[in-house]
Amino acid sequence: MDADVLVRDYLGRLEAASWPLPAERRRELASEVSEHIEAALSEAGRRDEVTVRNVLERLGPPEEIVAAEDGAAKEAPTSAAQPAEAIRASSPWGAIEIGALLLLTIGAILLPFVGPLLGLVFVWISTQWTTRQKSVATVIVVALLMLPVLILFAASAGTTI
Amino acid sequence: MVPGEARNPLTELRRGVLEHCVLAVVREEESYAFDIVRVLAQAGELVTSEGTIYPLLSRLRRDRLVTTTWRESDAGPPRRYYRITDDGRRALDAFVGEWKRFRDAVDALLRAKERGRVHGR
Repeated sequence: MDADVLVRDYLGRLEAASWPLPAERRRELASEVSEHIEAALSEAGRRDEVTVRNVLERLGPPEEIVAAEDGAAKEAPTSAAQPAEAIRASSPWGAIEIGALLLLTIGAILLPFVGPLLGLVFVWISTQWTTRQKSVATVIVVALLMLPVLILFAASAGTTI
Repeated sequence: MVPGEARNPLTELRRGVLEHCVLAVVREEESYAFDIVRVLAQAGELVTSEGTIYPLLSRLRRDRLVTTTWRESDAGPPRRYYRITDDGRRALDAFVGEWKRFRDAVDALLRAKERGRVHGR
Protein backbone atom coordinates (compact mmCIF):
# COMPACT_ATOMS: atom_id res chain seq x y z
CA MET A 1 0.00 0.00 0.00
CA ASP A 2 1.15 3.53 -0.74
CA ALA A 3 2.70 5.29 2.26
CA ASP A 4 0.60 8.43 1.78
CA VAL A 5 -2.57 6.36 1.73
CA LEU A 6 -1.59 4.90 5.11
CA VAL A 7 -1.18 8.39 6.55
CA ARG A 8 -4.48 9.54 5.06
CA ASP A 9 -6.26 6.49 6.46
CA TYR A 10 -4.78 7.13 9.87
CA LEU A 11 -5.81 10.80 9.88
CA GLY A 12 -9.26 9.77 8.64
CA ARG A 13 -9.61 7.40 11.59
CA LEU A 14 -8.52 10.18 13.93
CA GLU A 15 -11.07 12.54 12.42
CA ALA A 16 -13.81 9.92 12.81
CA ALA A 17 -12.84 9.06 16.38
CA SER A 18 -12.59 12.69 17.50
CA TRP A 19 -16.22 13.66 16.85
CA PRO A 20 -17.00 14.16 20.58
CA LEU A 21 -14.35 16.90 20.86
CA PRO A 22 -15.12 20.60 20.41
CA ALA A 23 -14.61 21.55 16.74
CA GLU A 24 -11.66 23.79 17.49
CA ARG A 25 -9.78 21.21 19.52
CA ARG A 26 -10.61 18.59 16.92
CA ARG A 27 -8.90 20.60 14.17
CA GLU A 28 -5.98 21.36 16.44
CA LEU A 29 -5.44 17.71 17.35
CA ALA A 30 -5.57 16.70 13.69
CA SER A 31 -2.92 19.25 12.79
CA GLU A 32 -0.75 18.32 15.78
CA VAL A 33 -0.82 14.66 14.84
CA SER A 34 -0.21 15.23 11.13
CA GLU A 35 2.64 17.58 12.01
CA HIS A 36 4.07 14.84 14.24
CA ILE A 37 3.90 12.35 11.38
CA GLU A 38 5.66 14.77 9.04
CA ALA A 39 8.36 15.51 11.61
CA ALA A 40 8.92 11.81 12.28
CA LEU A 41 9.16 11.00 8.57
CA SER A 42 11.55 13.84 7.84
CA GLU A 43 13.63 12.74 10.85
CA ALA A 44 13.76 9.23 9.41
CA GLY A 45 14.65 10.65 6.00
CA ARG A 46 12.40 8.10 4.26
CA ARG A 47 8.72 7.74 3.43
CA ASP A 48 8.50 4.08 2.52
CA GLU A 49 5.71 1.90 3.80
CA VAL A 50 7.72 0.31 6.63
CA THR A 51 8.84 3.69 7.97
CA VAL A 52 5.30 5.07 7.85
CA ARG A 53 3.89 1.98 9.56
CA ASN A 54 6.44 2.32 12.35
CA VAL A 55 5.68 6.00 12.87
CA LEU A 56 1.92 5.33 13.02
CA GLU A 57 2.37 2.40 15.35
CA ARG A 58 4.42 4.50 17.76
CA LEU A 59 1.70 7.15 17.71
CA GLY A 60 -0.81 4.51 18.79
CA PRO A 61 -4.42 3.92 17.70
CA PRO A 62 -6.29 7.20 16.96
CA GLU A 63 -9.08 6.05 19.29
CA GLU A 64 -6.57 5.85 22.15
CA ILE A 65 -5.35 9.39 21.47
CA VAL A 66 -8.92 10.72 21.55
CA ALA A 67 -9.61 8.72 24.72
CA ALA A 68 -6.68 10.51 26.38
CA GLU A 69 -8.36 13.74 25.36
CA ASP A 70 -11.58 12.74 27.11
CA GLY A 71 -9.68 11.78 30.23
CA ALA A 72 -8.12 15.21 30.13
CA ALA A 73 -11.48 16.96 30.51
CA LYS A 74 -11.10 18.12 34.09
CA GLU A 75 -14.72 19.14 34.63
CA ALA A 76 -16.05 15.64 33.98
CA PRO A 77 -13.48 12.93 34.68
CA THR A 78 -15.88 10.04 34.06
CA SER A 79 -17.99 11.70 31.37
CA ALA A 80 -17.10 8.96 28.89
CA ALA A 81 -18.65 6.20 31.00
CA GLN A 82 -21.73 7.98 32.31
CA PRO A 83 -23.95 8.80 29.32
CA ALA A 84 -24.17 5.17 28.16
CA GLU A 85 -25.11 4.10 31.69
CA ALA A 86 -27.75 6.80 31.96
CA ILE A 87 -29.32 5.95 28.61
CA ARG A 88 -29.44 2.28 29.47
CA ALA A 89 -31.05 2.98 32.86
CA SER A 90 -33.71 5.33 31.51
CA SER A 91 -34.59 3.31 28.41
CA PRO A 92 -38.34 2.56 28.66
CA TRP A 93 -38.14 -0.65 26.66
CA GLY A 94 -37.68 -3.53 29.08
CA ALA A 95 -39.43 -6.91 28.59
CA ILE A 96 -42.23 -5.91 31.00
CA GLU A 97 -42.90 -2.67 29.13
CA ILE A 98 -42.95 -4.32 25.71
CA GLY A 99 -45.26 -7.04 27.07
CA ALA A 100 -47.60 -4.43 28.51
CA LEU A 101 -47.84 -2.52 25.24
CA LEU A 102 -48.41 -5.70 23.20
CA LEU A 103 -51.17 -6.86 25.55
CA LEU A 104 -52.83 -3.43 25.46
CA THR A 105 -52.83 -3.31 21.65
CA ILE A 106 -52.76 -6.71 19.93
CA GLY A 107 -53.92 -8.38 23.17
CA ALA A 108 -57.12 -6.36 23.05
CA ILE A 109 -57.98 -7.98 19.71
CA LEU A 110 -56.78 -11.52 20.39
CA LEU A 111 -58.01 -11.71 23.98
CA PRO A 112 -60.87 -9.21 24.41
CA PHE A 113 -61.08 -7.85 27.99
CA VAL A 114 -58.50 -10.35 29.34
CA GLY A 115 -55.64 -9.01 27.18
CA PRO A 116 -55.91 -5.33 28.19
CA LEU A 117 -56.48 -6.24 31.84
CA LEU A 118 -53.31 -8.39 31.83
CA GLY A 119 -51.59 -5.48 30.08
CA LEU A 120 -52.56 -3.20 32.96
CA VAL A 121 -51.07 -5.68 35.42
CA PHE A 122 -47.81 -5.49 33.44
CA VAL A 123 -48.01 -1.68 33.43
CA TRP A 124 -48.21 -1.64 37.23
CA ILE A 125 -45.33 -4.16 37.57
CA SER A 126 -43.06 -1.96 35.44
CA THR A 127 -40.44 0.07 37.30
CA GLN A 128 -39.83 2.38 34.33
CA TRP A 129 -43.11 4.28 34.31
CA THR A 130 -44.22 6.75 36.96
CA THR A 131 -47.34 6.20 39.07
CA ARG A 132 -48.98 9.11 37.26
CA GLN A 133 -48.34 7.51 33.86
CA LYS A 134 -49.68 4.19 35.18
CA SER A 135 -52.84 5.85 36.50
CA VAL A 136 -53.51 7.63 33.20
CA ALA A 137 -53.05 4.34 31.30
CA THR A 138 -55.45 2.58 33.68
CA VAL A 139 -58.15 5.23 33.31
CA ILE A 140 -57.90 5.13 29.51
CA VAL A 141 -57.97 1.33 29.30
CA VAL A 142 -60.86 0.94 31.75
CA ALA A 143 -62.83 3.68 29.98
CA LEU A 144 -62.33 2.00 26.62
CA LEU A 145 -63.36 -1.39 28.08
CA MET A 146 -66.46 0.14 29.60
CA LEU A 147 -67.41 1.96 26.40
CA PRO A 148 -69.07 -1.02 24.55
CA VAL A 149 -70.95 -1.94 27.73
CA LEU A 150 -72.23 1.62 28.12
CA ILE A 151 -73.22 1.80 24.43
CA LEU A 152 -75.10 -1.50 24.68
CA PHE A 153 -76.75 -0.32 27.84
CA ALA A 154 -77.75 2.99 26.30
CA ALA A 155 -79.01 1.27 23.16
CA SER A 156 -81.15 -1.23 25.02
CA ALA A 157 -82.48 1.56 27.26
CA GLY A 158 -83.36 3.54 24.10
CA THR A 159 -85.33 0.65 22.54
CA THR A 160 -87.34 0.01 25.68
CA ILE A 161 -88.50 3.63 25.89
CA MET B 1 -15.41 1.20 34.78
CA VAL B 2 -16.76 -2.31 35.06
CA PRO B 3 -16.28 -3.66 38.59
CA GLY B 4 -13.71 -6.41 38.73
CA GLU B 5 -12.14 -5.39 35.44
CA ALA B 6 -8.42 -5.99 35.62
CA ARG B 7 -6.49 -2.73 35.86
CA ASN B 8 -2.93 -2.41 34.79
CA PRO B 9 -1.22 -0.57 37.67
CA LEU B 10 1.40 0.83 35.28
CA THR B 11 -1.28 2.43 33.10
CA GLU B 12 -2.72 4.16 36.13
CA LEU B 13 0.71 5.24 37.34
CA ARG B 14 1.67 6.63 33.93
CA ARG B 15 -1.54 8.61 33.79
CA GLY B 16 -0.76 10.07 37.19
CA VAL B 17 2.85 11.12 36.62
CA LEU B 18 3.10 11.86 32.90
CA GLU B 19 1.80 15.41 33.20
CA HIS B 20 4.59 16.34 35.57
CA CYS B 21 7.16 14.53 33.46
CA VAL B 22 6.17 16.79 30.58
CA LEU B 23 6.60 19.80 32.87
CA ALA B 24 10.06 18.49 33.80
CA VAL B 25 11.01 18.21 30.12
CA VAL B 26 10.05 21.82 29.37
CA ARG B 27 11.40 23.18 32.64
CA GLU B 28 14.83 24.20 31.47
CA GLU B 29 14.15 25.18 27.89
CA GLU B 30 11.40 25.88 25.44
CA SER B 31 10.70 22.74 23.38
CA TYR B 32 8.97 21.67 20.21
CA ALA B 33 6.12 19.20 20.82
CA PHE B 34 7.72 16.52 18.67
CA ASP B 35 10.93 16.73 20.72
CA ILE B 36 9.00 16.54 24.00
CA VAL B 37 7.34 13.35 22.76
CA ARG B 38 10.72 11.96 21.71
CA VAL B 39 12.36 12.65 25.08
CA LEU B 40 9.48 11.00 26.94
CA ALA B 41 9.38 8.01 24.61
CA GLN B 42 13.13 7.49 24.93
CA ALA B 43 12.92 7.58 28.72
CA GLY B 44 11.21 4.20 28.45
CA GLU B 45 8.21 2.90 30.42
CA LEU B 46 6.53 6.30 30.41
CA VAL B 47 4.76 6.38 27.06
CA THR B 48 3.16 3.52 25.17
CA SER B 49 1.35 5.57 22.51
CA GLU B 50 3.21 8.74 21.57
CA GLY B 51 0.05 10.37 20.25
CA THR B 52 -1.52 10.52 23.71
CA ILE B 53 0.98 13.24 24.68
CA TYR B 54 -0.88 15.77 22.53
CA PRO B 55 -4.09 15.73 24.59
CA LEU B 56 -1.89 16.09 27.64
CA LEU B 57 -0.09 19.13 26.22
CA SER B 58 -3.47 20.64 25.41
CA ARG B 59 -4.59 20.22 29.01
CA LEU B 60 -1.37 21.74 30.35
CA ARG B 61 -2.00 24.74 28.08
CA ARG B 62 -5.56 25.05 29.29
CA ASP B 63 -4.46 24.88 32.92
CA ARG B 64 -1.80 27.52 32.15
CA LEU B 65 1.02 25.33 33.40
CA VAL B 66 2.75 25.86 30.07
CA THR B 67 2.60 28.59 27.43
CA THR B 68 3.28 28.24 23.75
CA THR B 69 4.89 30.38 21.09
CA TRP B 70 4.75 29.85 17.35
CA ARG B 71 8.14 30.00 15.68
CA GLU B 72 9.24 29.86 12.09
CA SER B 73 10.75 26.56 11.10
CA ASP B 74 13.42 25.81 8.48
CA ALA B 75 11.54 22.69 7.49
CA GLY B 76 7.90 23.42 6.70
CA PRO B 77 5.17 25.36 8.54
CA PRO B 78 5.62 27.32 11.81
CA ARG B 79 5.98 25.21 14.92
CA ARG B 80 4.51 25.58 18.35
CA TYR B 81 7.06 25.69 21.18
CA TYR B 82 6.18 24.93 24.79
CA ARG B 83 7.57 26.67 27.85
CA ILE B 84 6.80 26.22 31.55
CA THR B 85 4.97 29.02 33.40
CA ASP B 86 5.44 30.10 37.01
CA ASP B 87 2.33 28.09 37.92
CA GLY B 88 3.83 25.10 36.14
CA ARG B 89 7.09 25.49 38.02
CA ARG B 90 5.23 25.58 41.34
CA ALA B 91 3.18 22.50 40.39
CA LEU B 92 6.33 20.66 39.38
CA ASP B 93 8.22 21.59 42.56
CA ALA B 94 5.32 20.36 44.67
CA PHE B 95 5.17 17.14 42.70
CA VAL B 96 8.90 16.49 43.04
CA GLY B 97 8.58 16.53 46.82
CA GLU B 98 5.45 14.37 46.80
CA TRP B 99 6.97 11.92 44.37
CA LYS B 100 10.09 11.42 46.49
CA ARG B 101 8.01 10.65 49.56
CA PHE B 102 5.72 8.37 47.54
CA ARG B 103 8.61 6.52 45.90
CA ASP B 104 10.47 6.05 49.20
CA ALA B 105 7.34 4.76 50.90
CA VAL B 106 6.66 2.19 48.16
CA ASP B 107 10.32 1.16 47.99
CA ALA B 108 10.51 0.72 51.74
CA LEU B 109 7.38 -1.40 51.75
CA LEU B 110 8.49 -3.56 48.87
CA ARG B 111 11.91 -4.07 50.45
CA ALA B 112 10.33 -5.03 53.76
CA LYS B 113 8.19 -7.62 51.97
CA GLU B 114 11.24 -9.03 50.19
CA ARG B 115 13.14 -9.36 53.46
CA GLY B 116 10.12 -10.90 55.13
CA ARG B 117 9.89 -13.53 52.44
CA VAL B 118 13.62 -14.35 52.69
CA HIS B 119 13.43 -14.66 56.49
CA GLY B 120 10.28 -16.67 56.31
CA ARG B 121 11.94 -19.47 54.37
